[in-house]
Amino acid sequence: MHFDPTLFAQQLINGLSLGGIYALIALGYTMVYGIIELINFAHGDVYTLGTFFSLAILTLLGVTGVVTGPMLIVVVAVTILGAMILCGLTGVIIERLAYRRLRNAPKLAPLITAIGMSFILENLMLYWKGPSPIPFPAVIPNPEFTLGAVTIQAKQVMVILLAIVLMVVLQAFVYNTKLGKAMRATAQDKDAAQLMGININTTIALTFLIGSALAGAAGFVSGVYYGSTWFFNGFGAGLKAFTAAVLGGIGNLAGAMLGGFLIGLIEAMTTQFIGDQWSNVVVFSVLVIVLIFRPSGLLGEALPNKV
Amino acid sequence: MRLSVPQAILAVALAASLSACTSSSSSSSSAASSGPSGGTIKIGVDLPVSGADASIGMPTQNGAVLAVEEANRNGFAGGKFKLDTSLLDDAVQGKHDPAAGAQNVKTFISDSAVLAMVGPFNSNVAKSEIPLTNDAGLAQISPSNTNDGLTIGDDAKKLRTAHPDVNTYFRVCTRDAKQGAALAQVAADRLKLKKVFVIDDNETYGKGLADVFDTSFRQLGGTVLGHEHITANQVDFKALLTKIKAQGPDAVFFGGNTSTGGGLIRRQMADVGLGKTPFLGGDGISDDEFEKQAGDSANGSYMTVASPDATKLPSAKAFVDAYKARFKTDVGPYSANAYTAAKIEIAAFEKAIADAGGKMPTRGDVLKYIAATKEYDSPIGKVGFDANGDTTSPVLSLLNVQGGKKVVIDVIQLKS
Amino acid sequence: MTLAARITSSLPAPLRTQRGKTALAFAVALVLPFLGHNGGFTNFLADAGAFVLLALGLNIVVGFAGLLDLGYAAFFAIGSYSFAMLASPQFGIHLPFWLLLFIASGIAAVFGILLGAPTLRLRGDYLAIVTLGFGEIVPQTFLNLSQWTGGPNGIGSLDQPAIGPYKFGFDALPYYFMVLGLIALAVWVANNLRTSRLGRAWMAIREDELAAAHMGINTTTTKLAAFAMGASFSGLAGCALASKLQLVSPDQFGFNVSVFILAMLVLGGMGNIPGVIVGSLILSALERFVLPQGTNFLHSLHLNLDLTNSRFLIYGVILVMMMLFRPEGLIPSSQRKAELHAADDDPTAAAHEQTLYTEGVA
Repeated sequence: MHFDPTLFAQQLINGLSLGGIYALIALGYTMVYGIIELINFAHGDVYTLGTFFSLAILTLLGVTGVVTGPMLIVVVAVTILGAMILCGLTGVIIERLAYRRLRNAPKLAPLITAIGMSFILENLMLYWKGPSPIPFPAVIPNPEFTLGAVTIQAKQVMVILLAIVLMVVLQAFVYNTKLGKAMRATAQDKDAAQLMGININTTIALTFLIGSALAGAAGFVSGVYYGSTWFFNGFGAGLKAFTAAVLGGIGNLAGAMLGGFLIGLIEAMTTQFIGDQWSNVVVFSVLVIVLIFRPSGLLGEALPNKV
Repeated sequence: MRLSVPQAILAVALAASLSACTSSSSSSSSAASSGPSGGTIKIGVDLPVSGADASIGMPTQNGAVLAVEEANRNGFAGGKFKLDTSLLDDAVQGKHDPAAGAQNVKTFISDSAVLAMVGPFNSNVAKSEIPLTNDAGLAQISPSNTNDGLTIGDDAKKLRTAHPDVNTYFRVCTRDAKQGAALAQVAADRLKLKKVFVIDDNETYGKGLADVFDTSFRQLGGTVLGHEHITANQVDFKALLTKIKAQGPDAVFFGGNTSTGGGLIRRQMADVGLGKTPFLGGDGISDDEFEKQAGDSANGSYMTVASPDATKLPSAKAFVDAYKARFKTDVGPYSANAYTAAKIEIAAFEKAIADAGGKMPTRGDVLKYIAATKEYDSPIGKVGFDANGDTTSPVLSLLNVQGGKKVVIDVIQLKS
Repeated sequence: MTLAARITSSLPAPLRTQRGKTALAFAVALVLPFLGHNGGFTNFLADAGAFVLLALGLNIVVGFAGLLDLGYAAFFAIGSYSFAMLASPQFGIHLPFWLLLFIASGIAAVFGILLGAPTLRLRGDYLAIVTLGFGEIVPQTFLNLSQWTGGPNGIGSLDQPAIGPYKFGFDALPYYFMVLGLIALAVWVANNLRTSRLGRAWMAIREDELAAAHMGINTTTTKLAAFAMGASFSGLAGCALASKLQLVSPDQFGFNVSVFILAMLVLGGMGNIPGVIVGSLILSALERFVLPQGTNFLHSLHLNLDLTNSRFLIYGVILVMMMLFRPEGLIPSSQRKAELHAADDDPTAAAHEQTLYTEGVA
């Protein structure tokens, strides 16, 4: 098969858009892992909840299709903020109920709890919306741009930009605010942070709030991007987003975004050049290979083995 | 306080065995060589009736239930025997599951009142069930299986492990080779398509149908641009569809079900600029879910149903009315098939009872009469079985989605 | 009885008190299939027994060595497919069943080492994710390589075990006794391993890998041994289930299966053999009887709620609740219980300390 640069560029756009969604989810994973070293398995399902909350808000607003004019900004702002707040609260509640008690337990305990939470959330969503994919209103006008022979949809641009913008905002928050500093201190050494007057519980809750809120934003974006959602969305997407976080270097915000885009690209290119049925195998093989040869990820620093 | 280990094991085991006993108490009357001249005869019904498959499985189950209820009302076997159904679900977490199906069949086999069964719905479930019914001599009629390997060739022989010469598996609908070939014919002759890209869901039914279409379409002079398999639970098809679009297909063929990706693929085709390209599939995308999931993009899709469309057939009028009156909903695509399957079994029961002098017949007697079914008058026309268990009057309906609704545009009578 | 007697006589002296209990448990197991007077119950027992085997295998990896394996079904798949390819018309190879028990569990063990080796340097939670990745890769690969594996159709018409002229056939009873024998073997092996040098090394790694390494334990070979042993049990279970079901197909080995087995351990008590067996039986019984019967009961009350659809919700709740309130499981091992509840009696425990400070400072 001869190499077609237009097609390659088109797949690049597909991969980056898919990767943008992974990146948004991966940010939440990496934040939580960075601070309490927990793979929050339920995070992927909080992302799916984000699409469900968005859908519920849009239904309340009476939105069933594309919105235009100034109303578009209102609808998008209300929906995305609503989904972020609801998901953020869900994350905080999960942390409070399921993880906090286990903070000093052997490491396997909170991880197993997180898997349990993931199953619980999935099944609650199964009851809520049923087992089949459900349509999601288009909301945003979706003009297509052409760059040479490559077609780019507005919603693809939205996904990619949003992932980058939120990463930059988050980075600024973590490195330039007092709360961000508290988060970093807690991540480094909980006991020392506590002695410095940092409220550990509040800081960790805040981390869950922000991470889960990002999943809520990702939920809205993916609903608009795919025009549908279903209860089991979070399992596959969550797994790949976690892979992205590990690939980029867990705990590293820029790394999570980079990892997300890379995983999206790998998936699209596998489909194009090898075959769609191999995309999961290739993605997870990449995860395994990265962990073997560079366990700290592409941008991460080698972590000392905490005892 | 803490239970000692053997106490605990014993408690669990006893609890399980107790509940096993209660579950079988209604049916534990000894299976008899010289049966009692009365009692209950059951039809085991194994279909996916929960989760994503419920939208098509439930109306199918209703068809079988209706047949049994009618037979009881009309004095089944002179009123000496009561007919009943044993309804089991082979869906696990909302999706048909071969292991669950096998489990259900074992439950039927161990219930001596079950003399025949209706099901399963899905071909991969049938693969795990046929060796079991073959061994037990229990007749099963599927309302919807279309995979060729279930009845034809070496694959079918391999399924009949215990008794290679005995066939216990029958179906009232058309098999994939005929469905896939007919779809290829429709694509080439009726829709005048030249280049088609084939996708399947990598499941028994979907891959089987897609393979047949692939071969048949090439034989008819068409070009198959490529053949890809998607993965379970996949939601993003944009890369795949972009790859397909670059090859400029006249149509995309999908072997699979709505629940395994059919609806989402059709929806996302619009995103990559394939919205106006026809989408073809088999009976797996003939459920109402398809239009829901594909949205506006559903228009321009073609699919077949491996049975005549019951709502359009004069012979099915009485059934359709009775179904609506009983269940307060419209019939599903396979309701009439399941109804017919159950009716054929009930007719066989009556003959076998008469043969046994009014006594409880054996599964073997019932099987004999089911296998001998010829020209049986049913809502879906005259039905009979050939030596392989396939229907002798294969019929397909061709559907097209127009204005968000499926419309029957043709009924194709195939050679048996 | 002979089987049970052999097991108990081989138990080491300190466990003599358990001897009678173990014998009793096996005696009960031998008569169990004759209590339920239909084949469905025996069939359930045989399937449940195979899952006991799987749980015992995962217990070595997770319970003994503390390596969280979220893709255990991958080894189960490898064992099942090994059996299927060597005992079916697929390639026309028909090796004897009893030989294949060893071959399949051997192949699974080799893959346990192959897949385990690259993960050795990883910390516990990374390991979980990598094994989860393997759990996704392996069944998908079996599905994709359809020219050898039958793709979605899987491999059917598998050979049935036979003892001399006696063929097992389709009745569940001989399979049940075979599974029971395999469980006896597995319990014997696991129990001896637990008290062996290797077993103590596993537990040392579980408690503190760094300290264990400094004590001179070769963590690499010790961990690999856990993966290999755990995987080999799943090979046995794979042969038993595949020959009974007459079919292997890629959809039998999903993430759900891995979590189902993990839930058995969590419920019963990780690291404790009797606990794991009980946990496994409870979940199998829940799945097979309690949920369907409960659903029937609800339907009789005209409540249209399908409990069988909620099984994964129930497993989720079990995982969360057990971890929060009884992390040692229903039937804990004494060590584990001591470890997990040490903080309860210790006024200087970290959790306690933390609340004091945060209230004071914040």
